[in-house]
Amino acid sequence: MSRLRDFLRFFGAHWLLLLAIALYLWAVVVSPERAAAAATVSVRSLLSVALLVLAVMGLVGILQVWISRDLVARMLGKEAGLKALLLAAVCGMVLIGPAYIVFPLLMSLRLQGARWAVIVIVLASYTVKLHMIPLEVGFLGWQFSLLRIVLTLVFAIPSGLAMEAFLDTFETNRSSLPGDAHD
Amino acid sequence: MISVGLVYFMLIAMAYGLLWRVSKEKTDQSLMVARKALVSLLPLLVAIFSLVGLFQEFVPPELIERWLGAASGGEALIVGGALGAVAIGPPLAAFPLAGSMLEAGAWAPAVAAFIVSWISVGVITLPYEASVFGSRFALLRNVLSFLIALLIGWLIGMVL
Repeated sequence: MSRLRDFLRFFGAHWLLLLAIALYLWAVVVSPERAAAAATVSVRSLLSVALLVLAVMGLVGILQVWISRDLVARMLGKEAGLKALLLAAVCGMVLIGPAYIVFPLLMSLRLQGARWAVIVIVLASYTVKLHMIPLEVGFLGWQFSLLRIVLTLVFAIPSGLAMEAFLDTFETNRSSLPGDAHD
Repeated sequence: MISVGLVYFMLIAMAYGLLWRVSKEKTDQSLMVARKALVSLLPLLVAIFSLVGLFQEFVPPELIERWLGAASGGEALIVGGALGAVAIGPPLAAFPLAGSMLEAGAWAPAVAAFIVSWISVGVITLPYEASVFGSRFALLRNVLSFLIALLIGWLIGMVL
């Protein structure tokens, strides 16, 4: 399992770079002038977001150190009902970190008794990516960003409840939890 | 974008200043996490912006229009969503690419579906998700997220 995880991590981090290098080599062969023009665009756009990227990483540092994942997990495990669902939506938004950390954390929460809906809602609002919003606004405009976030949150709770209904029906037939614990 | 970056950067710098007063130790830790995140992201950033340059210079707008243009309607929406579903990488990578697509004449709903599906659907990481949550959950969540991505894309297009 850990080898697969390492592979996914490596692949996730570097496949694009390998692709970009290969494409640039191809571009230089096909047309050096157009490759140079492309490189100018590349450098200019990278420089234009440099400060933003630094700021985003700064926020990642703050959220990861000052918001304890364990505390979030404990809060979510204790609550039930509508309050749990709303809390899940909020927690998902401030939860930062790669999927290979967040997934097992949520599964351990599930095994401690959290509702399926809570898990699904956290995963849905985890896609809001609060810290990236300035970057999104820069490239796509604030209307786009705002709409995406609002719609993501609007769909989070219904889809969580729908998945829970489905999974619970299935589980009562089998009366056991699927998947292994990865704590 | 540079001025947005400057404002955001100053806000974060101020936050660090305030947190420094609360706990010097934790603030140092935050800086370390930030530095590590940045370093691990650097190859990806270089890759993305290399691609953005190549994209603008070499991808003919007609191609984008054919596959992701407004005239293709529902097909463009599905193509956008499918592209996002097979892509892996942080959303940081999706935004510049999506920006280039829009500039090249892609339909806004298709681009929105691309982004939402990039962030929430992971075909490549599906085996890992299944190993954690069980395959039923993983499959169901990804299918549902894909449909929601198309729906959100379409709704964004309606409003914008």
